[in-house]
Amino acid sequence: MLSADFVIATAIAYVGLLFVLAYFGDRRARLAKKSWLNSPAVYTLSISVYCTSWTFYGAVGNAARSGLEFLTIYLGPTIVFVGWYFLLRRLVRISHIYRITSVADLLSSRFGKSNRLGVLVTCIAVIGIAPYIALQLKAVTSSIQAVAGSSEFGRGSLRGIDDVGLALGVAAGMALFTILFGTRHVDAKEHHHGVVAAIAFEAVVKLMALVAVGIFVLFIGGGFEGIFEQAAARGVVVETTASFDSRWLTTLALSIAAIVCLPRQFQVTVVENSDENHLRVAGWAFPAYMLLMSIFILPIAVYGLAVMPEGSNPDMFALTLPLAAGQNGLALFAFIGGFSSATSMIILESIALSIMVSNHIIMPLVLRFAPVNQSGDGQGVSRVLLVARRFSIMLILSLGFFYFFFTRDSDALAPIGLISFTAIAQFFPALLAAIFWKDASLKAVSSAILLGFVTWAWCCFLPSFDSVWPAVSELLRQGPWGISWLRPQAMFGLDGWDPLAHAAFWSLSVNILTLTIGSLVTTPSALERIQATAFVDVFRRPNLPQRSFAPGSTTANDLYFVAERVLGEQRAAALFESAARESGVDPIGFEPTPEFVGHLERELAGSIGAASAHVMVSKVVAGSDVSLEEMIQMADEAQQVIEYSQQLEKTSAELRVTARKLEDANTQLRELDTRKDEFLSQVSHEVRTPMTSIRSFSEILLDPAPLDEGQRQRFVSTIHTESLRLTKLLDEILDLSALERGERSWDNAPFDAEEALDRAVSVCDALLRQKGMRVEFSDRAKSTMIDGDADRLCQVLINLVSNAVKYNDAESPVVVISSKVRGGNYYVEVADNGPGIPRKHRHLIFDKFWRGVEGAGDQGGAGLGLAISRQIVSRMNGSLELVQGPFLGACFRIRLPIVGSVQTDRA
Amino acid sequence: MLVLTVVGTLLLVPPLVHLFNHDITVLGVPQIVFYLFGVWLALIAATALLTSRLAPERTFTGDKDES
Repeated sequence: MLSADFVIATAIAYVGLLFVLAYFGDRRARLAKKSWLNSPAVYTLSISVYCTSWTFYGAVGNAARSGLEFLTIYLGPTIVFVGWYFLLRRLVRISHIYRITSVADLLSSRFGKSNRLGVLVTCIAVIGIAPYIALQLKAVTSSIQAVAGSSEFGRGSLRGIDDVGLALGVAAGMALFTILFGTRHVDAKEHHHGVVAAIAFEAVVKLMALVAVGIFVLFIGGGFEGIFEQAAARGVVVETTASFDSRWLTTLALSIAAIVCLPRQFQVTVVENSDENHLRVAGWAFPAYMLLMSIFILPIAVYGLAVMPEGSNPDMFALTLPLAAGQNGLALFAFIGGFSSATSMIILESIALSIMVSNHIIMPLVLRFAPVNQSGDGQGVSRVLLVARRFSIMLILSLGFFYFFFTRDSDALAPIGLISFTAIAQFFPALLAAIFWKDASLKAVSSAILLGFVTWAWCCFLPSFDSVWPAVSELLRQGPWGISWLRPQAMFGLDGWDPLAHAAFWSLSVNILTLTIGSLVTTPSALERIQATAFVDVFRRPNLPQRSFAPGSTTANDLYFVAERVLGEQRAAALFESAARESGVDPIGFEPTPEFVGHLERELAGSIGAASAHVMVSKVVAGSDVSLEEMIQMADEAQQVIEYSQQLEKTSAELRVTARKLEDANTQLRELDTRKDEFLSQVSHEVRTPMTSIRSFSEILLDPAPLDEGQRQRFVSTIHTESLRLTKLLDEILDLSALERGERSWDNAPFDAEEALDRAVSVCDALLRQKGMRVEFSDRAKSTMIDGDADRLCQVLINLVSNAVKYNDAESPVVVISSKVRGGNYYVEVADNGPGIPRKHRHLIFDKFWRGVEGAGDQGGAGLGLAISRQIVSRMNGSLELVQGPFLGACFRIRLPIVGSVQTDRA
Repeated sequence: MLVLTVVGTLLLVPPLVHLFNHDITVLGVPQIVFYLFGVWLALIAATALLTSRLAPERTFTGDKDES
């Protein structure tokens, strides 16, 4: 039979094996970069540190107690890994570029290298993980007790030692082991090849152990069917129907957050990743690993419920079933499997947490109280770091132990783990915002995490002490000071919910709400903005220039000093030499460039975290923050220059428009000028023709040669007619220029427009008869009074009618005149069926000096009639335009405003 | 891949999960157990298939200098 002493001895031997493995792993990794250690398979196996003794023991217990719920813990991570391309790939890329060492480092680096955020995240992680560590201690303790209790003499040297003592021993042993294991190297680099090798080995061991137990159970239980039938026969019903409620969703969401945010998962998945392409394999292989792990959990649980005596701990079925069947070898293997899962978790979790603690809490303190330039010993800061990490490991394990000590009476494993999951899930919204949302700001994220954590502590952490302190159970029932709506498990009267769903709902709601609203109302600082762009656009601009320091403000010596203290002499020297080689100068005369300083800062960040590295380098490189401000200012100035040039462009566009307008005006002027010249020659011609005939006739008359009376009479009358024509022409010119300059006195008085129209038509009567033209009246308005000069309107109408007569060469020429009143205006239209006015001339007809159809010059007129008419109408506040008429010919429309409503019926 | 992730998630949460949650046993095992493991297996297979079609990325390792 197995005894406790024997299993403890085996465990110690197993740990020794791990130690050897880690040692060789490290050596191999140092000797050859391309070893089997650096393969996707090892990477995937190391991720399976997710499956702790919670999986090995707790999941069976969980399945026995609440059915299929245990599956969510593995389905959540499956979803994350199936979608590795979106979240994990991005995280890995960011971490590679910026040498991220932990979740705290990622968040603090993204949000302006803020150390306060790093401290906050670290503290929450340490407190939040304590229950998880306690879970492992409890599992190991219970498993040893299970072995010890299985036989009479099993207790061996454990006689007289209770659970607490055993757990303390386990915790101390683990602490010692982890310190020896995880912090051996002076070189505090972010990769731990040896540890990863050991973890991968443990992953194989625990999988094989669980599969072995599973197959054994299937064998003795008679296959899946047999097990379920036996269970049904004994009245054991596995809860499979009622579990898809809020709790299903909650645990699914929590496990999604946990697989990313748990410090150890972040460590193995993101930080220890040496090649992005490993994710491609892990994307399907890790879910497959979890599937293999969980496929036997349900049969073990069901079989255990069916055959084990009433009251036995279902968490330990994986161990107690082989023990009960007398299979000692298998039981020992199962024990080692469970032990594997616990140790791997504790080792990695405490290493990850200790890195966080040393980088974000201890390192900044060291930096604050010990000036960098102070000469230290040869080992540099890394010695301080290692001591800090060892101390942190002890702290973390003691916290775990104390949690175990206080809550040792609660029996199940899984609920303890979920408390940790809820705490760690508080980082998830911030993490997503960090890599997907540029506007997320430091203040918002810090307060969101803090508030979420406080809610968690109140709703989830505090109630777990229910059975220990009466005060807590009193609080749970009554609320603080009797305020019932603040009861930890029924906040704001949300009663009757599952406590876990309740806590997760409130803490995450508060968290997300604060994050979103806070980010929208706060303005991020300059450094935050730079980091936000660098993180969010990591795939768009992978080599974004890092914030550069002011050149020449530092010497290589100072920087070397810093590098040596953190990285150790060898790595620092190698770094500086390669930089000097690249820039092609002698290592002695090497002047640090801003790029080199940025590179160095990232190297340091790999060891001590981004915030500390930033502080450290900033201390040496004087005025770095000033240079940052300057950079922002420069960016602003560039922005201003751009705006200024945009304004210039706009102005020059305006200038171009003006120039074009001027050009148009110039063309118009030239055209006018040409037309004026044409007109002058026309006028000269017009004046010259009558003048010539007047002169020649008068010369004939002066001639003493005899003329008969008839001839004399005819000559004199010709002279008279010609001089009349001349006068008329000159009158028109005078009239127009006077009208244009507004010199002529003008008295508007009401008159009857229809009367004026009649008068005009009767004046034109003779002309119309001469051409054999008809005048048709279509609609006529009633007698309408308008304001103006009747004679002038008459003049306009005569001009229009005579134009219609003059230019009409149709076979049966017709002039159609209509008038109407509409909308307070009086309209007269004069249309003819002549040739009309060509489209290209339509805009010219009202211009001065424009004469109608070519060749119609003999029709007389100087091309002033329409120009005068328009002037007259506009003086009467009306308008004259060419419109589309009833015929093809021209149609002019006069519009005049009506003055009164004095209307009398026409007879 | 996005479709796969979203569909996978939807298949595992209410209300879709209720569609397959009946009191029927297949080979003595409740139907829902088969369903959940089936979806899980399908997700793994589909991811492996999709990933193999995706061109591998330019190797980007933390050991190399990114400049």
